[in-house]
Amino acid sequence: MRKFYSLICWSVLLAILPGWLLAQGVRITGRVTSTQDGQPIPGVNIVVKGTTNGVSTDANGNYTINVPDNSAILLLTSIGLVTQEVTVGNRTVINVQMQESINELAQVVVTGYNTTQKKDITGSIASVSPEKFKDIPIASFDQALQGQAAGVQVSQSSGTPGGGLMVRIRGNTSISASNRPLFIVDGVPVEDGALTGRDFGGQTDNAFSMFNANDIESMEVLKDASAKAIYGSRAANGVVVITTKRGKAQKTSFTIDVQRGLSEIIRRPDLMNSSELLELQREAVVNAGQDPDKFGLIKGVTDGQNTDWINSVLRRGVFQQYQLSTRGGNDRTQFYISGSYRDEEGVQLNSQFTRYTGQIKLDHKATSQLSFGTNITISHVKNKRVKGDNFLDGVYSGAIKSLPYYSPYNEQGRLYGPNDPEYAGFPNFNPVAQALLPRFNTYTDKLLAGVYAEYEFIQNLRFRSKLSIDYNNVIEDQYESSQTAIGGYLENVGGQGYGVFSTITLATLINTNTLTYNFQTAEKHHFNTLLGFEVLQRTERGGNVQGRLFASDDFTYINSAGIVDQGGSGVANSGLLSTFGELRYDYNDRYLATLTARYDGSSRFGQSRRFGVFPSASVAWRLSGEPFMEQFRFLNELKLRASYGFTGNERIGDFQFLGTWASNTYSGATGVGPAALANPTLQWERTREANIGFDASFFNGRFSVTVDAYDNLTDKLLFAQPIPQTTGFGAVQGNIGKVSNRGVELTISTVNTNSAVRWTTDLNLSHNENKVVELASKEPVFRGYQGNGVSNTNVILPGQPLGTFWGLKFLGVDPATGNAIYDDKNGDGRISPDDGQVIGNAQPKLYGGLTNKVSWKGIDLSVFFQGSYGNSVLNFTNVTLLNTGTDLQNNQSRQALKRWRKEGDITSVPKYVYQDTYNNYLSSRFLEDGSFIRLKNVTLGYNLPKKWVNKAKITNTRIFASATNIWTLTRYSGPDPEVSTLDGSTTAQGIDFFTLPQVKTVIVGLSLIF
Amino acid sequence: MTQFIRYSLAILLISLASCQQVLEPQPTTLLVDNLVLNEPNDVQPVRIGLYSALRGMSAPNIMAGDFTADYVQANGTFTDNIEFGTKRITATNGIVNALWGSIYNTVYVANFILEKLPAITNISDATRKTVTAEARFLRGWANFIGAYTYGDIPRVTTTDPVTNRTVPRVAKATILASVLEDYQAALADLPNVTSASTNATNNATYLNKVNCRAAMARYYLYLKNWVQAEDLSTQVINSNVYKIEPEYANVITKDFISESILEVGYNLSDDPGTSATSLNNILVGRREIIPSNQYVSLMISAESGTRRETITFDAQQQRGNDNGWTVRKYGTASEDNNNIVLMRLAEMYLIRAEARAQQNKITGANGAVADLNALRARAKAPVVALTAQGDVLLAVERERIYELSFEGHRWYDLVRTGRAQAVLSAFSPNWNNRFELWPIPQPEIQQNSALTQNPGY
Repeated sequence: MRKFYSLICWSVLLAILPGWLLAQGVRITGRVTSTQDGQPIPGVNIVVKGTTNGVSTDANGNYTINVPDNSAILLLTSIGLVTQEVTVGNRTVINVQMQESINELAQVVVTGYNTTQKKDITGSIASVSPEKFKDIPIASFDQALQGQAAGVQVSQSSGTPGGGLMVRIRGNTSISASNRPLFIVDGVPVEDGALTGRDFGGQTDNAFSMFNANDIESMEVLKDASAKAIYGSRAANGVVVITTKRGKAQKTSFTIDVQRGLSEIIRRPDLMNSSELLELQREAVVNAGQDPDKFGLIKGVTDGQNTDWINSVLRRGVFQQYQLSTRGGNDRTQFYISGSYRDEEGVQLNSQFTRYTGQIKLDHKATSQLSFGTNITISHVKNKRVKGDNFLDGVYSGAIKSLPYYSPYNEQGRLYGPNDPEYAGFPNFNPVAQALLPRFNTYTDKLLAGVYAEYEFIQNLRFRSKLSIDYNNVIEDQYESSQTAIGGYLENVGGQGYGVFSTITLATLINTNTLTYNFQTAEKHHFNTLLGFEVLQRTERGGNVQGRLFASDDFTYINSAGIVDQGGSGVANSGLLSTFGELRYDYNDRYLATLTARYDGSSRFGQSRRFGVFPSASVAWRLSGEPFMEQFRFLNELKLRASYGFTGNERIGDFQFLGTWASNTYSGATGVGPAALANPTLQWERTREANIGFDASFFNGRFSVTVDAYDNLTDKLLFAQPIPQTTGFGAVQGNIGKVSNRGVELTISTVNTNSAVRWTTDLNLSHNENKVVELASKEPVFRGYQGNGVSNTNVILPGQPLGTFWGLKFLGVDPATGNAIYDDKNGDGRISPDDGQVIGNAQPKLYGGLTNKVSWKGIDLSVFFQGSYGNSVLNFTNVTLLNTGTDLQNNQSRQALKRWRKEGDITSVPKYVYQDTYNNYLSSRFLEDGSFIRLKNVTLGYNLPKKWVNKAKITNTRIFASATNIWTLTRYSGPDPEVSTLDGSTTAQGIDFFTLPQVKTVIVGLSLIF
Repeated sequence: MTQFIRYSLAILLISLASCQQVLEPQPTTLLVDNLVLNEPNDVQPVRIGLYSALRGMSAPNIMAGDFTADYVQANGTFTDNIEFGTKRITATNGIVNALWGSIYNTVYVANFILEKLPAITNISDATRKTVTAEARFLRGWANFIGAYTYGDIPRVTTTDPVTNRTVPRVAKATILASVLEDYQAALADLPNVTSASTNATNNATYLNKVNCRAAMARYYLYLKNWVQAEDLSTQVINSNVYKIEPEYANVITKDFISESILEVGYNLSDDPGTSATSLNNILVGRREIIPSNQYVSLMISAESGTRRETITFDAQQQRGNDNGWTVRKYGTASEDNNNIVLMRLAEMYLIRAEARAQQNKITGANGAVADLNALRARAKAPVVALTAQGDVLLAVERERIYELSFEGHRWYDLVRTGRAQAVLSAFSPNWNNRFELWPIPQPEIQQNSALTQNPGY
């Protein structure tokens, strides 16, 4: 029995021994609260300085920590709060008030596979906090980057709801491969660009519109080699790392957001009315030596009708968005759950974007060593689309061109269909019918889900494994009735109704394993290491079927089609296998260095060039940490940075390195024909990047500035080099040529006043110089649309930037004859395609954004400008709308009122001559200055006083009104300088071709937290 | 720690096993180069691919023959077609480029077969001979079109891309000599077909000795070798494999009629749809090109007879510049007659008529007029009773419009007979004798410095 007791005693002793050993010293308890509102702050990290001994505050802000002695210093850190050091002294209860940080340098930044504090960053990273876009009704998160981060150029291609955007980080690096940055959401490289298959004339859908931007916690833009090299062969275009909201150890809180508003096109094109157009057309026919009466152009008859087609197809769209979210948890388990609904009517009749999203994030700490969790984002979108841009049967594009002589409805109120004798013939289609009659429904489902587990072997040595999937399913359900262009007019397509049903599945499966170890030696040497291994597999699977000859327009599904003769299915896989590592070192928080490398193997390259290494190195010096800087007390932070490294671009599509034959047919038999020439040495594009910069913060963070300068050179360009067709092929994939991007970026944040009135300013400006340094040959490579009388709208030429416009040089209108005068470049006495030359480019010299925020008591006002300077826009619309009489089937811009009419007229618009193409050759006549400054957003908000709302147990209530795109300053003559047909194109950007302008939106919103 | 290493090694091994699968996915809709034409089973698909290349060349070839000529007007928005309609053809014209590309695509596949077929064992001698002959014939056919469309063109005899990237133009006569060589080699080895064969589809779809002779008759006509042209066209007519269709309407609306000597076929699922080189799309769907008024009055005259059905009128479409007429030879998709007839028996009669007239064989059973009247009888048109050589030659020229318009002949006919300048300058003020040849496509000139442009472009 004694033995038994003694065993118990010893056991108890042994059990408490470690605790007793640790408990040596002083036990400190306390509570951390906010300076601003006195509320407890959970999750604050408290460590004894110089040791690894640390705890964090619980849901009520309470903590308990043991310190070795009275001289110990507690270091309190938390995201978004000013770091504090507290000397313990004689106290055992230490309550701390912490201040919200206005010093951006103290913020925690997600650097891909790792996190760090902004002050410890050695590369170039820009952060965009959700605060900056929460009041703007953005449909996709890439829109949130517009004008918010230096070095990030975003332009919205059109006003189509849920439509595509062009995002470029530090310029265009590639000619043929994708120029889109890599977007990582919760560790998964998500689908970008368009998900759907069928062409809508230029405007695509946008995969990012599947996400609810309100679920985002942080967005980091990785810009230089040091920051990006961890993403290796996919990083050359920059990386955007997005982290969604997670739970917090706090009392469960609920947030309700309600937004409602109206949208309208920002500006209407200025078009002719019936009598103006008739006079113009008669003049063109007379100038061609023909009789206008014979063309049916009769005054008082032809212009008896005057339809404003733009008004007929446009409307005011209603916008609404509702969201309910909740977050909370305790020390061991935290959760975030949200659901949202968004409904956006397009300004074009019958266009609508409806989205439902749901998100769950769970984190659980099972033991002190093991934690795991999951994130699930699901969304469903119904997108009612309409055709546009380069489609004769588009809605807005059709309305611009439609002759005002006709009306959409007949006397009985029935829509005119194609082939109707009362309506204009081909190529005119009733745009109102084209909006109302077809069914272009796209249903998209997205599942982004992941599970992770993390195990801490010893303190600060962690292994983390995560398995995620990005699964996208798109169903396109379309029917064009016999009263539409495709379904009724084009007999070789539809004839009698045309139905399409297609499905596409895009799935990425990714497994990421990382091992991190942070340690320090001799107190001053801090090491932060990471080693990772990743497998990624992407599958693209799709099928489609088309039916035509429907019994009647009441049958709209292919079950009722008379002929189902077109269809197909296919699958394509690609994969990436990678190992990567990172070593961060700092000496005494003053001298910092980072080494990063990734070793990637990609299925997109030939066997001999399958694997590649992408290393980078960077150093930084925190000057402000030096003792000799202490005399400059106004300076809080000053860090000089430099980095150098290599990144790659592997996005050229699959199987490009193979020489291939594709199936073809002949009179009912199936055979094979040559499809592509082989290039077994095809490899990734490589970008050599160098960056220098500094971050500085003065006057307690009241003024901070970041400047970066970079010099990037992309070589081994993936390029489908055009080759003479005498080879049997039009092009061969190769790694030829070089593109350089050089630029400077400036970011300034100031707190102008910080008393009762708090006024802050954020400014970012970027300058990028893009140039094709070298190509396989000096001969121009043409891209873009085919031009009249000259090769193409765009050219790739050594010495010129990507997005260079090509054409004849328009010298003016000959006052004697009214004909256009073009520059006879080769001096052979006539104008031929050989006289084509570079006439401008679409790359801005400067772009940026300026945000001013003022708050006073509960009121806040935010004014956000965004702009671009020095870029040209090709007004390709005017090739049709100012066509100098090439045809009589299109309405004309009112600029044609300035046309040459008689000898001696000095004007820039040539004489109108029916069917004369010479005056309408593609020339610099259509090139315009596309610089603009846009008042992108103004938001006025009011937080109801706490004493009112707290009675209703509500923590915070905010009401606000927000207006987007309300004012634009530009010299561009079209409705919107920012639009671009060929959405996302690099070589043919900045072309306005019947593109729907952006919309201005005014919303009011309510946000409730309780 | 050891536990960790053990786990990570396990993960690494599993991952490496999946490496092959991740990094080497197989294409599912493409065939890799080295799998093509290295076993007997590959011969048939590649042979069909060769014919498919012929089909790819056909529509732009028809466009060259008809749209460059005098009887069309542009009625749409495609710049390429407006250039044809208004006779302002430039080196950047898309159709000019498309024909060039499809010619050399055909030459490539033919050369590929000629290079790789000898290495394949285990195929029957007959197959080897036939496929080789087909490759030679179609290479000849492609070069023939190239020489008469662009003048001097590069002569491509290998599949080697390095050689073919810098290949220069050679004299038209050299190309034509190579065409004859290919035709003659093909004639020796192509299969026989007899008058007993009733498979009209097969006889027009694939090559045989008779349709090879038909192509040679055309070749000699273009070269003004009247004796050979008469002889070969007579052989084709007398072979009785191909027979004049009793109703001209069937020539317009039906596929694979017995008159068809060489016809490239589509079916519903490989219809060219709305492509810019789809004749159906350009002539019927979009009506980018419509017949000129002058042509319409010619076709609706009594001389034309039932051949007037080549075009139809729709009053609803008549407005402005649009005269309301539509060319019907390429129907609509739902009518299923998108096929392109490259040679048919009526042309043989016209070749013989011209060859005979040139040899001053005008009247009698073996005279030119008898051949013309054979076609007139079928068209229920009044008989021709001319006797002067010049009149008969003009009658042949006109008869070729009635009979063969929109089958790709007119421009080639006017140029080879030296009548282009007279006829076309009367038709369009923009006509210039440089348009007797098409320009070398601008991109080709740019990519291959050995190429020069045709004069005037």
